[in-house]
Amino acid sequence: MSLLDRFRDRVGSGSATSGDPLVDDLRAVLSPDRVKTDGAQRSLLGKDASVFDGGSAGPICYPISTNEVVDIMQVAQRHDRAVVPRGAGTGLAGGAIPLGAPIVVAVTKMRSIGEIDEANGVAWVEPGVINLDLTRHLTPLGYHFAPDPSSQQVCTIGGNVANNSGGPHCLAYGVTNSHVAAIEIVTPSGDVVMLGGLDPEPDGYDLRGIFIGSEGTLGIATKVAVRLTKNRPAVRTLLLSFASVRDAANTVSDVIAAGIVPAAMEVMDQRITEAVENYVGAGYPTNAAAVLLAEVDGPEEGIDIDADRIAEIGRANNATMVRVAADNTERALLWKGRKTAFGAVAQIAPDYYLHDTVVPRSALADVLDEIYAIADRHDLLIMNVFHAGDGNLHPLIVFDGRDEGVLERVHAAGGEIIEASLAAGGVLSGEHGIGVEKQKYMDRLFSDADLDHQNRLRRAFDPVCRANPGKILPMGHSCADIQQLRSVPTGVWG
Amino acid sequence: MTATLRNHDPALDEFAREVGSEGAVSIAGNRTRWDVGGPLDPDTRVLSAPTGIVEYIPEEMIVTVRAGTSVEELHRTLAERGQWTALPERGGTVGGAVAVGQNDFRRPARGDVRSAVLQVRYVSAEGTLITGGGPTVKNVSGFDLPRLITGSLGTLGCIAEVILRTNPIPATTRWLSSTNADPFAIHAALLQPGPILWDGTTTLVMLFGHEVAVAADIDRLRSLGTFDDCAAPSAPTGHRWSVPPAALSDVAALNTGAFVAEIGVGIVHAEQPQSRPPLDAGALLIHERMKAEFDPTARLNPGRTVGVR
Amino acid sequence: MDLHLDADDLNMCVQCGLCLPHCPTFRVTGDEAMSPRGRIHLMREVQDNNAPLTTEVLESFETCVQCRGCEPACPSNVPYGHLMEQTRETLAEHGEITPRWQRLALAPLSNPSMLQAGSSALAVAQRLKLVPKRLGISAELPIRRKPLQASGNDVYLFTGCVMDAWQRDVHRAGMRVIEAAGFGVTPTNDLAPCCGALHAHAGLSDTTRGLAETMMAALESDRPILVDSAGCGAAMKDYGHLLGTSEAQAFSERVFDIGEWLALNMDDLPRVAPLDLVVAVQDPCHLRHVQKVHESTRTVLRPYVRELVELDDDGLCCGAGGAYSVLEPELAGQIRERKVEAINRQRPDAVASANPGCSMHLAAAGVPTIHPMELIDQALQQA
Repeated sequence: MSLLDRFRDRVGSGSATSGDPLVDDLRAVLSPDRVKTDGAQRSLLGKDASVFDGGSAGPICYPISTNEVVDIMQVAQRHDRAVVPRGAGTGLAGGAIPLGAPIVVAVTKMRSIGEIDEANGVAWVEPGVINLDLTRHLTPLGYHFAPDPSSQQVCTIGGNVANNSGGPHCLAYGVTNSHVAAIEIVTPSGDVVMLGGLDPEPDGYDLRGIFIGSEGTLGIATKVAVRLTKNRPAVRTLLLSFASVRDAANTVSDVIAAGIVPAAMEVMDQRITEAVENYVGAGYPTNAAAVLLAEVDGPEEGIDIDADRIAEIGRANNATMVRVAADNTERALLWKGRKTAFGAVAQIAPDYYLHDTVVPRSALADVLDEIYAIADRHDLLIMNVFHAGDGNLHPLIVFDGRDEGVLERVHAAGGEIIEASLAAGGVLSGEHGIGVEKQKYMDRLFSDADLDHQNRLRRAFDPVCRANPGKILPMGHSCADIQQLRSVPTGVWG
Repeated sequence: MTATLRNHDPALDEFAREVGSEGAVSIAGNRTRWDVGGPLDPDTRVLSAPTGIVEYIPEEMIVTVRAGTSVEELHRTLAERGQWTALPERGGTVGGAVAVGQNDFRRPARGDVRSAVLQVRYVSAEGTLITGGGPTVKNVSGFDLPRLITGSLGTLGCIAEVILRTNPIPATTRWLSSTNADPFAIHAALLQPGPILWDGTTTLVMLFGHEVAVAADIDRLRSLGTFDDCAAPSAPTGHRWSVPPAALSDVAALNTGAFVAEIGVGIVHAEQPQSRPPLDAGALLIHERMKAEFDPTARLNPGRTVGVR
Repeated sequence: MDLHLDADDLNMCVQCGLCLPHCPTFRVTGDEAMSPRGRIHLMREVQDNNAPLTTEVLESFETCVQCRGCEPACPSNVPYGHLMEQTRETLAEHGEITPRWQRLALAPLSNPSMLQAGSSALAVAQRLKLVPKRLGISAELPIRRKPLQASGNDVYLFTGCVMDAWQRDVHRAGMRVIEAAGFGVTPTNDLAPCCGALHAHAGLSDTTRGLAETMMAALESDRPILVDSAGCGAAMKDYGHLLGTSEAQAFSERVFDIGEWLALNMDDLPRVAPLDLVVAVQDPCHLRHVQKVHESTRTVLRPYVRELVELDDDGLCCGAGGAYSVLEPELAGQIRERKVEAINRQRPDAVASANPGCSMHLAAAGVPTIHPMELIDQALQQA
């Protein structure tokens, strides 16, 4: 191709008819350069941060307004094509992986922070706004957005809504569902509907509440009224070391039993602490079997009562060291270590599989023992870093995908971890969602009748499986026949 | 499969049999909010939900309780271990409180009902016991049936049992009253404002937390006016309004008549009823489909409609 | 096509996406093909799955600023900068990127007199308003030059090409500051004409290697080589990797950013009354993300100004990117808008930037930029 041809191609890109009526219709409602159809883009948006392959994106749309999302939904209806929303693509359960060459709606260009309504305690933001950008925007006004998932520097508010995201500090503050007052959505039928409201008890069923955490299967959020949380004047961050993971886990249980709900309680085992320390140099003790990062916040008055009590409970559970972060720099460094833990393991092996289950706090120590045993049985390296206060485990299997047969062992161990968590009275996911990862385990937690009712809920929003089909509900339930979805429709995508 | 993970409870099976799969049916608690949602169709069979606290695990901050149990009894049990829940204390039952979904007037200190219901078990219109949610605070395992059922006024299923999140009762609570402090300034001055009730003349504010923190809050408030200790008020009565908190700065414009407003929250207990606009068409469509999906023969609590106060 | 990328390097990326917000082109486009994760995915597609080199794929590679802001954000330590340089090298060898006119534009950089003639011509042209504003070139290109004289032989000051032609005043200020600390300075002038950074960005690595060897031969000794352009310093510190020899490694270890070196010799620098200015520090990407010595800018500057303020954008690139602002003016302009907003939030009197490309790019948008050495020099002069 000559330079001139390439130039023409670039300038003319999208203006010519594509030969695919779906693409032509999408380009007619969006500006042509915001509908991408090239193989490079489609293969890229066929994946997210999970280990799941098999995604297949159709045309990729980058809308910039609610009306454009409505237009896309209407085109999708005309062509009977599914629609999958996407934020930053940092999901770990494959929730944003497009199945069956659907239209992918990337909201990353819808990223303005609108009105800050202090009198009603909310800010209106678009779904593509990055979580940490929002908090930074609010900080000078004395507020923040409370959910702080480890991916907060990159994940979007739309993605937080889709996954009901948590983060270390949701122990005291609650997950995304507690921090969103209202959501404007485009329904799978193409209607614009406001769910929830700025008043405390909006009329009707709690459609806002059920939309949050529905992984893009009930429609596309186009505006979100997030709640403003006042910044805390005082914070105490404690670092406790233990000679056993069990002691750390017991400390966590005892703190809650003592009537203290700290802002956060996070545990890292020795292997992950070493990786983190190597990466960040935060001053974590690498000789301890487990470290507990506990944080209390609130008014200055009384804060040390809780901090001292946590230290005391830690010592009663054989803590080998108790340290309070001296200043904000040390505190920030400790948190940086915790929040980059998953990435830091890449120094150990190129691939990892991060799990996400929740168990009762009192079962933490036993389930962890079981998880280490599972890893040994499958000859795998496993590390544990988790939201201990919530009982939210994040076992991390570290491996090299090029090793023969390792993926089978990784998946087998993953299955056993899930079984062990459920056997202890836990649930499938605390914050990553079901996506395509855990569909097949849904019937371990729910009966057919239970799942049927979940499907009814879904159908009320989306009777024709338009929005993100093939997710959450297992095979045999409507919208979930993945085999069918994986046979890509004929046309230019074939 | 599921039976291995959930306690088999004959009381719930019996309740499911009573509800059955045919004929109009409604569940009554203590009828403290019996009028909410409009009058019940006259030829409706009225049943009671099973009662009793099934399991209370203070260190997990959860309690499993059958729907017919009174909130008073539940909170009496929890108080022995220094905990409470977000459910309103108005003489009603747990099932009634969850079905109605209204919050206690001390919500800022106790949390909201919808966040408190972690798992719900209800009898479907087909007479089947359905479970949604799970026993943990953090949970994104499938669609959120607890949120759907909470506040649905029994129109989608008959609540049999719930798992509720419990919370520690603060070390200290103190009610103060003032007639010369601006209630909105009080709300702005406190880091974590407790309930603030205002009737246009007098403001009642609840401070909570560690004793030193409460004392510091009192110091903060002194610059706003004079405050005196007072007894904890009983739940305000009257028609229930729900407005954006900012609208309270001009209550007169709302035409509520005599009122008690929850500052920072947006609930107003008023002499006059609130007239509310109907749901917009898109939301209404989802509501109609939801009702048709869950109760195709419209046998559950006929006559009641969510959104009628 | 085999891009000749190291398979292990490529495999280090686990697609976590933490790089996305640290990429200036993703920030302004919201398009994942314009992000490090996207570009690495496309490298894999091209190298492993023989994906065709479509316009979109080439555009994704060509729009990378090579600021390397993604590298410190990457918990897996993916050597993104090297992957992108190698990709561009292979594509340039196959004639897929770097059109001839662009190579022509780079040719004068290794020939200072040609560049001086060229940039004087550009300066004149600019005053005659012949240069389109969208090119983002500062409106204050000087017309006349004065020679730099050696004051001793404790350290070299690398004068380079772009810096020497466009910002010789910075060299003068830097020399005076080093001299004030009691060291004699030898400016490299024509001894070592160009570091090859821009050539490396464009994928012309044979040329880069040639320039590196010329420089190493010319600056043979164990004297520290101070560099007042972050981009040049980064390139020279990378000679060890580029040439893969122990001599090159040893050479690279002698290279210091001028601020980095001065921070090690702060005790020798006279303390004077600070300038009455609020100064925002703008970290050039090649100082912060590549050399990782941006803290020393603060160390040396802090005693000499009333107040230092930080930008709140995590050191996101300003869009200058060597020749990037000329080659991709539209994207570079959008990236700059973000930076200007971050600067305006802090309301500084001046913005200190240790890289000529950033300075000129920002100055073209009306930002009062100044090299940290010039600020220290002013404070010393004032005393």
